[in-house]
Amino acid sequence: MAVVTVDGLCKRYRGAAAPAVHDVTFTVADREFMVLLGPSGCGKSTVLRMIAGLEPITSGTVSIDGRVVNQVPAKLRDIAMVFQSYALYPHMTVYDNLAFGLRRRNVEHAEIDRRVEAAAKKLGLAQFLKRKPHALSGGQRQRVALGRAIVRDPRVFLFDEPLSNLDAALRVTTRNELIKQQHDIGTTSIYVTHDQVEAMTMGHSICIMNEGKIVQIGRPLEVYRNPADTFVAKFLGNPPMNLLKGRLETQDGRAVAHLAAGAVVLPKRSAAALGRYIGRDVIVGVRPEDLYESAPAGGSVEVVRLPARVVAVEPLGAETLLVVTLDPSNEELIARIGRDTALRSGDRFDIALDAAAIHLFDSATTKAIVQAS
Amino acid sequence: MMAPMQLGFARVRRLPLVLFVILYTVVTGGPLLWVATMSLRTTAEIFKDPYGLPSPAHWEKFADAWTKSNYGTYFWNSTIVVVIAVVLVTAIGAMAAHCLARYSFRGNRLVRFLILTGLVLPPQLVILALFQILLDINLYNTLAGLILVYVATHIAMTVYILEGFFAQIPQDLFDAARMDGYSDFEIFWRVTMPIGAPAIFTTVTLNFIVLWNEFLFAVVLLTDDDKRTLPLGLMHFTGSHQLDVGMAATGLMIAMLPIIAIYAFFSETMIKGMTAGAVR
Repeated sequence: MAVVTVDGLCKRYRGAAAPAVHDVTFTVADREFMVLLGPSGCGKSTVLRMIAGLEPITSGTVSIDGRVVNQVPAKLRDIAMVFQSYALYPHMTVYDNLAFGLRRRNVEHAEIDRRVEAAAKKLGLAQFLKRKPHALSGGQRQRVALGRAIVRDPRVFLFDEPLSNLDAALRVTTRNELIKQQHDIGTTSIYVTHDQVEAMTMGHSICIMNEGKIVQIGRPLEVYRNPADTFVAKFLGNPPMNLLKGRLETQDGRAVAHLAAGAVVLPKRSAAALGRYIGRDVIVGVRPEDLYESAPAGGSVEVVRLPARVVAVEPLGAETLLVVTLDPSNEELIARIGRDTALRSGDRFDIALDAAAIHLFDSATTKAIVQAS
Repeated sequence: MMAPMQLGFARVRRLPLVLFVILYTVVTGGPLLWVATMSLRTTAEIFKDPYGLPSPAHWEKFADAWTKSNYGTYFWNSTIVVVIAVVLVTAIGAMAAHCLARYSFRGNRLVRFLILTGLVLPPQLVILALFQILLDINLYNTLAGLILVYVATHIAMTVYILEGFFAQIPQDLFDAARMDGYSDFEIFWRVTMPIGAPAIFTTVTLNFIVLWNEFLFAVVLLTDDDKRTLPLGLMHFTGSHQLDVGMAATGLMIAMLPIIAIYAFFSETMIKGMTAGAVR
């Protein structure tokens, strides 16, 4: 069990104009499962490789349980890693793949047998121990890769997009299996992915990265509900948050966001924080699930209506995605509505918007202005 | 209606290929078969009827070649020289290829360039220099000297083939082995070598065949009869005034047998190594 601390981590490759990783700082608590989330090329795998000791660190420190390990070789850091390609040795059987790391550490034969068999049993691999990796399915290979990490009983697990080579159905099963394993074993884990569903469902905390920098760290729902900027707002959520141009004004002491399609009176409680933004351009964010075909019954939601035209109706079975453009600005919105809708492409209607769920971002810095309630 | 026509058309289209394969087999297999028949006939019989079948078959010619014509010594010399040279060139070449494929160090490209220039240098260009060097270090007219020359001249092709194959082995495997606690050499030995086995078999087979038949360096760098390799031994039957065709054919068959055996054993692995990816 271990606490991993990354402090001011930077990585600059020779000849590169910009650093691949810039001033990354976070702490992963003992037994915590942290997900590093970001688009391809954002530097998340580089951070993971620097923690693993596979990539030299340009500046900053990596510490495990308070001890700086920058100069400690990978093999002495007591970290196990599961790779995207699984990295199974093709010339070895499943048993040998699982035992490879233990043999190097001079673990006794009987103990190797015991650990390999226990891991194989736990992961449902007992009947495949004599097979070579090419005779296994993708899911089984993934489990062998996980087993290889488990048998070592390391202080820290690192996962580098371990589910991205699996098909959609298998990914869901394996994801649940991984969550269960991590829950059982409880080893401190850092998990790199670009898949927000994995991040939301697996992590105790999420660290979102973009262009080599950390954008936001927090618990999954906290980050989803309070994105720190428009990048997080767009990146987390499928479909992503709708972003509209607007201008903040006051009206009868209340803050009002003037959109091209109409005015949205914002709940009073956020008005105080908006002082210096009054009279300035802002970006207004609305999650697709905060848009309605008609106002929800019960009056619990403070609804604003905006004139819209349906561009496309995408029935997904359990729900329907509605692509609309607002009148007259032609700005596009995606709404997630109930599965039964009579709307058709080309229809005009007033789309309902939950004013309390609106997010506001500074149009210059793209940072969040006020937390939506 | 269309299917039989299409089938016929496919056959017609395949005809040139079939003809080419037949022609190629005749061109390559014909002489081999001819030499094989001649190896069992006496020179007199051959001059009488060059294309006749061995009747009776003179199997004793193989024993004569082995004992009376010193073929046993030539065969042993060839075996020592070629086996040691192939082992050395494979070991050094594999390590060099692993480093060039896996590590980005300063001068990586220059080292690769220098090694691979060996591919384009004709042996005639270096033979005088090698002769002089071997004289200087007292290795002229020794099997050890010839082994060194063979290793030096075949390292380029070996590195070229192995590096291409090793570079395809995913980096993740090496990273995984590093995290499992293995040193650089252990990773080379336990990961690169077993995974690269098809490519290594390829270079072993190719080098063995080429070196077994090598003549130019051997004829220049060896002078004593008891140090000669098989290709030099064949010259025995080719005097300045006469040619013992029958015994030359027997000698050729003895020289060819190991090559045929090696190819029969390793051809499939060799073809796999030349065509397949590193990790399937």
